Amino acid sequence: MLATPTTSLTGDSLDQRWRDRLETVLAAGAAAGASLVEVFIESTDHIGLLAEQERITNVSPAFGRGAGLRVFLGDKDGFVSTNDLSEVGLLQALDQALGMLGLTRANLGAHHFDGLAALRDHGASKENWLRQCPGLDESTARLLEATALLNRHGDHLQARRGSYARDWQEVLVAASDGTFARDIRLHQSVGINALAADGDHRASLGRRYGSSGRPDDLRQWDAEASAIDLCSSARSMLYADYVEAGNYPVVLANRFGGVIFHEACGHLLETTQVERGTTPFADKVGDTIAHEAVTAVDEGLSDGAFGSLSMDDEGMEPQRTVLIENGILQRFISDRAGELRTGHARTGSGRRQSHNFAAASRMRNTFIAAGPHTPEQLIGSVDRGLYCKSMGGGSVGPTGQFNFAVEEGYLIEDGQLTKPVKGATLIGEAKEVMPRISMCANDLELAAGFCGSVSGSIFVTVGQPHIKVDTITVGGR
Amino acid sequence: MRTDIITARPSALHASDLAGQLQSLATELGVSRWDLGAACSTDTSVQVDRGEAKQLKGAQRSSITVRAWNSDGLVGITSTSDLSPAGLARALAGASEASTYGNPDDSPGFSPLATAPLAQLEQPISEPRGILELLDTLKQAEAELLGRHPAISTVPYNGLAQRSSQRIYLNSEGACREQQLSTASLYLYARAEEDGRKPRSSGAVRLAYGAEQLDVAGCIEEAAERTIQHLDYAPIATGRYTCVFSPEAFLDLIGAFSGLFNARAVLDGVSLSQRDSLGSQLAVPFLSIHDNGLHPGNIGATSFDGEGTPVARLPLLEGGILRNFLHSEATARAFGVAPTGHAGLGAKVSVGPHWFEIGPAGSTGEQAGAANLDRFSQDGIVWIDSLSALHAGVKASQGSFSLPFDGWLIQGGEARSIEAATVAGDIRAVLKGLVGFEGQAKVTPDGICPLVWVDELSITGDA
Repeated sequence: MLATPTTSLTGDSLDQRWRDRLETVLAAGAAAGASLVEVFIESTDHIGLLAEQERITNVSPAFGRGAGLRVFLGDKDGFVSTNDLSEVGLLQALDQALGMLGLTRANLGAHHFDGLAALRDHGASKENWLRQCPGLDESTARLLEATALLNRHGDHLQARRGSYARDWQEVLVAASDGTFARDIRLHQSVGINALAADGDHRASLGRRYGSSGRPDDLRQWDAEASAIDLCSSARSMLYADYVEAGNYPVVLANRFGGVIFHEACGHLLETTQVERGTTPFADKVGDTIAHEAVTAVDEGLSDGAFGSLSMDDEGMEPQRTVLIENGILQRFISDRAGELRTGHARTGSGRRQSHNFAAASRMRNTFIAAGPHTPEQLIGSVDRGLYCKSMGGGSVGPTGQFNFAVEEGYLIEDGQLTKPVKGATLIGEAKEVMPRISMCANDLELAAGFCGSVSGSIFVTVGQPHIKVDTITVGGR
Repeated sequence: MRTDIITARPSALHASDLAGQLQSLATELGVSRWDLGAACSTDTSVQVDRGEAKQLKGAQRSSITVRAWNSDGLVGITSTSDLSPAGLARALAGASEASTYGNPDDSPGFSPLATAPLAQLEQPISEPRGILELLDTLKQAEAELLGRHPAISTVPYNGLAQRSSQRIYLNSEGACREQQLSTASLYLYARAEEDGRKPRSSGAVRLAYGAEQLDVAGCIEEAAERTIQHLDYAPIATGRYTCVFSPEAFLDLIGAFSGLFNARAVLDGVSLSQRDSLGSQLAVPFLSIHDNGLHPGNIGATSFDGEGTPVARLPLLEGGILRNFLHSEATARAFGVAPTGHAGLGAKVSVGPHWFEIGPAGSTGEQAGAANLDRFSQDGIVWIDSLSALHAGVKASQGSFSLPFDGWLIQGGEARSIEAATVAGDIRAVLKGLVGFEGQAKVTPDGICPLVWVDELSITGDA
């Protein structure tokens, strides 16, 4: 039954039994002259659910398997993905990847492969995760409860939605440097959305919560608190006026307010950006790039956080990486290719959406550290500005210019929150905005999100305490 | 001597074999009604960085989506990349089990048009090129682009890709659709920087049915021209401006608000349109919008949708009046009309546009809009070249948008690049605030459209 899924998806688990097949492939690649060959194999099991009003309207299970093979020759690489996990299929993929670098298995004996190390099995203690997750009966009941709670607590709600996604992934990473590691990942996210409408007034808002490695998470979710929070925001925003465009001091709320750092600065501290020459911070390690109030961290270790992992997609265990300390740039987020091409040591940050992507340096749980102030002190320091309680998505362009939408905003007048405003977009450039983050509060919290970039869409958290930006351009009407 | 790697076309899926396997599995499971969408593809792509290969990629992908109906008429679905007999069996069993949770109020059925004749598309199938040949082409393109202006220092986003693909739709009542396709794409986004000034970036994209047909020279030319045009920039003062949207920008905007035309969104209560909006005046009387997935300019067009319904040209706005919605089988049934060929495949079937044709309703008078528009003949015109971050800055169900853009401010017949700005408005006001069209319609990857003039949009700048 789907309600009690098993880890035995199409037969074999990804484990020690793959050693011989993988060693054959890796040895062939090394013999052909590759300086490194890496194989990433995954098995996935996904369920997506959607509830609308009082009905479950979509149940979408999906499962699959595949492999990504990456071959390095110096700092160049070729990457091939395939759904054919037979030895023949993997060797065909290897041939293609070798050929991309001008190598062929006909040239035998170029490099010797010493075999894989003992399997580092991070998944051994997680074998039961999938069957510990709520089944479909329980999951759908929780979503219907959520849409009913929205109805109970909301006004003028024209559409109510609850959604749930459970992503289970078993991965095996093997490389010709001996790396041999396995993991099981479990990500769950639940979201609620509402569209409030009254005449020409409309407001659409949403909340999303996510975790990793917590099979019980949907059961533990406080659906009523989430519904009350969302309905309160919808009530505020339904009749909100559009914000007046201009330059303002801005206070960004904690949790998802951290998307500003993620978009404005975090991406620019990935070695993929150094490789491309698209970060203004490439040669700034040791330099002041932000206000001294700012310390920023990227890590994969926080228990249950959406961006946490036991190993990255290159088999390396994650670290706590201090990116900026008191305004001074300390380190970049790096993967295997980033280390080869830029010299920045790997940080356990090689990540990818699936076997169809080569790993790249990507963020995990990224946040601005807590400061000494209270949120009230930040708001109280602003005569006229904008308070951004809830953020929408955002992006950063190839020249470092970022933007992100404010989902729920309020004017700050004489140090007090006053009327709600909508339609605001914050725009700027990281290099200019980072020195303007002048105050950090003491209420750091993380929020789950999805980040799309060069290696696909991955699970991350953003986070921050309340922060104050002295001035930023606010797009509006 | 160099040996090049030419990736084979995808291992062909055999529709009749798949149908036989599914029917046999369905019989074993007691499933009498099922359908299936399958796809497989082989992709090759290259990226370069200052004359060196940056990444070379190849991929073989396959996937199927199976739907099964139970005895109560409820549908379940499962997707997988495992096309082995065991994978198919598990997918069908999964779909059958998921049907327990089907929505009795809105259960999709087979499209009544799933066996209707299909339009014949002129889509030449190209043989894939060797990956090292692709690499050479891209290296040369990058070098030419770098050589166009001393300020162009890198082409940080670039790629040359080719794909051979096959898709199939089958159902238990004998529908059998199949399409093979080859496509290729090239994108070049250059970064330029002059001393003491901020870096600027712009680029161009080209699509074709094969790598040998790509307009590489045109892509280089356009990427260079657009990047260089943005080198001399100035901030713009916040205010309200008459804006002229490039074809690409206006098509992006209409695409982001295509929920206006989407019957699924209407039924879900998240569209700006309602059931009774058909026949109402949504826009100025000189605006017409059609969805035409079959247009020859639509590289990669499909002749049938996810439910097997033929794709056809559909009037959405005629003379500013809403004429039709985009439909799946289920939404069409709810509206009492025929499916339009815009469906995906799911338990709750998504609906979406293919390729827009946007332009005047006629050639003269009220049907044409303001005549002889020339953006260089007026001062204070904002010419919007491209919009960014549509995923973040568009509130489709509210109608509002606030989007960063690249563009120019026109003064004294000269266009000067705008440093950084956003444009904000409401799509309903935009549709009713069109002034007219300028120039000939241009074919783009997302549709065909001329320059579009819109009055009184809010621009936020740094001046």
